[in-house]
Amino acid sequence: MITTALVLGIMGGIFSAAIRLAAEEQQFEDTIENMVSHIQIHHPEFIANPEAHYRIPDGKRIAEEIGDQAGTAALSARLVMDGMAASANMNTGVRIKGIQKEAESQTTKLDQLLEEGTYFEEDWRLPSVVIGRQLAKDLLVETGSRIVLTFQDIDGEIVSSSFRVEALYTVTSRRFEERTVFVKADVLGELVGETDAVTEIAILIEDAERYREVTDDLRTQYPDLEIRHWADMEPALYFSLEVLDQMLIYLVGVIILGVSFGLLNTILMSILERVRELGILLSIGMKRMKVFSMVVMETTMVALIGGTAGLVLSFFMIRILNQHGVNIPGGEGLEDFGFAAVLYPDLPTSFYFEIGGVVILFAILASIYPAWKAIRLAPAEAVRAE
Amino acid sequence: MQTVIKTEGLSKTYTNTAVPVHALKDVNLEFKEGEFTAIVGPSGSGKTTFLNVIGGLDKPTKGKVVIDDIDIATMKESKLFDFRMRHIGFVFQAYNLIPVLTAVENVSFIMLLQKRPKKEMEQRAKEMLEQVGLSDKLNTRPAQLSGGQQQRVAVARALASRPDFVLADEPTANLDTESAFNLLDIMARLNKEENITLIFSTHDQRVIDRARRVITLVDGAVDKDEHFERN
Repeated sequence: MITTALVLGIMGGIFSAAIRLAAEEQQFEDTIENMVSHIQIHHPEFIANPEAHYRIPDGKRIAEEIGDQAGTAALSARLVMDGMAASANMNTGVRIKGIQKEAESQTTKLDQLLEEGTYFEEDWRLPSVVIGRQLAKDLLVETGSRIVLTFQDIDGEIVSSSFRVEALYTVTSRRFEERTVFVKADVLGELVGETDAVTEIAILIEDAERYREVTDDLRTQYPDLEIRHWADMEPALYFSLEVLDQMLIYLVGVIILGVSFGLLNTILMSILERVRELGILLSIGMKRMKVFSMVVMETTMVALIGGTAGLVLSFFMIRILNQHGVNIPGGEGLEDFGFAAVLYPDLPTSFYFEIGGVVILFAILASIYPAWKAIRLAPAEAVRAE
Repeated sequence: MQTVIKTEGLSKTYTNTAVPVHALKDVNLEFKEGEFTAIVGPSGSGKTTFLNVIGGLDKPTKGKVVIDDIDIATMKESKLFDFRMRHIGFVFQAYNLIPVLTAVENVSFIMLLQKRPKKEMEQRAKEMLEQVGLSDKLNTRPAQLSGGQQQRVAVARALASRPDFVLADEPTANLDTESAFNLLDIMARLNKEENITLIFSTHDQRVIDRARRVITLVDGAVDKDEHFERN
């Protein structure tokens, strides 16, 4: 009974923790690793006016310098600007990102995000564009369709050019999907009048935890540029992750407290049911300290068996769910806010040991009060208990 | 014969009730080695309190309980636990076996607490269960035994550690006639064979008829102390 409660408590707790961690990781991976990157560098004016005119002076060289620095995992030097995308049916405002194929696949894994089509492999007469699934829906186009992108060149002149949709990508953010299109940087560079123009450098660093430190170093190196880390660019995500972290701590705390109080209650009940048995032990000469350690030992054994069973079952449960995914009810709507409709829960192995250790520790602590109650029994009365 | 237990001016008053209850009043008794004594009296006369006090399960309000020249009434609790384990055997009305242990384990348990060698423990437990006629129930748990059988296991448990005396609180109260006689036969035989002092509290005339000494308590005081010749 106690063991079952312990197993179910641990499984429930670990499931919730894994789902929360998966949501956190999915949001972080999707937003940071697929869209924003850890750090971005721009011309200071570019944030307010995302135009080709505000390019990073000597951007190619700076990108190469940063790319050579230790700690940089991947880097993409882009030519980015706002513009319009138009099909035969509709037009809409978009952010056009001129990219280098290889660098982008290393930085945002764009090649792996394609739902349909190929990754800048077609040799069409018209240059290729990769657009989001949502934008394709909005513009009523598909792969192979022609769209027109309109934007300003480096001198502020309006330029329009036709592109053929080579692929549709998909990310969890619908907003990103309908707002962002990718073309080759050299094609866009020619159109804006400067083939080497760079307006954005997106950087992935090796140690994601050091993003603030690396940003500060880059700010010192390049004081004239606007250098922002992901928490600056996505404050809502940053706070949401912070909240999730806190919630995870509270959640684990609640699981442990719940399991401990459940155990405390069950052990107390079992002590009450065994008053006579404990009375006999005390009557025939078992010392109070031995009775105390017996109750604590019993609880420890139960916690060890239940805890281990709970953790092993949880491990396999998370493994299975990680392979098949967990559908979040109403998850379709969440995609507008960057949350995935299907989560793939995963937990580091150390988490199982940590939670197992803490549960067993708390179980032992929870056994002290019932054990103390047990040794307070008066043997003469206890042996006559009904 | 050697005196096993001696009480001097033994009194016990319960004060945790609305009106103080004087359960024992100035009881002066001596029990000799090998005696078969029945403590009788109406309900509330102090029989169980007397057994609890001389068994060290309860402390007297006044007076002495001298066993082996030691007044156990003044003994520290930790020493008293040890003393009980080594010198006193208990048989309770409700058998009070440990439900998760088999008959042989129940009988061995006190010897386990006494840290006796395993072989000796097993041999003695089997021997005692044989003596009470349960050699075929060694590995049976209490729930699978009848009331009479459970009480016989309890007797074997009480005697297994060779205590100086055995206190039995209404041991036949829950037994049918046949089981009660059977148990009394066994206890009388063991009393003789092992020369163990047996002190019963009882209402049961069948026990009283077997006892060689009958002490009658009335309102916590000794009313009569009679000795009988019995086989």
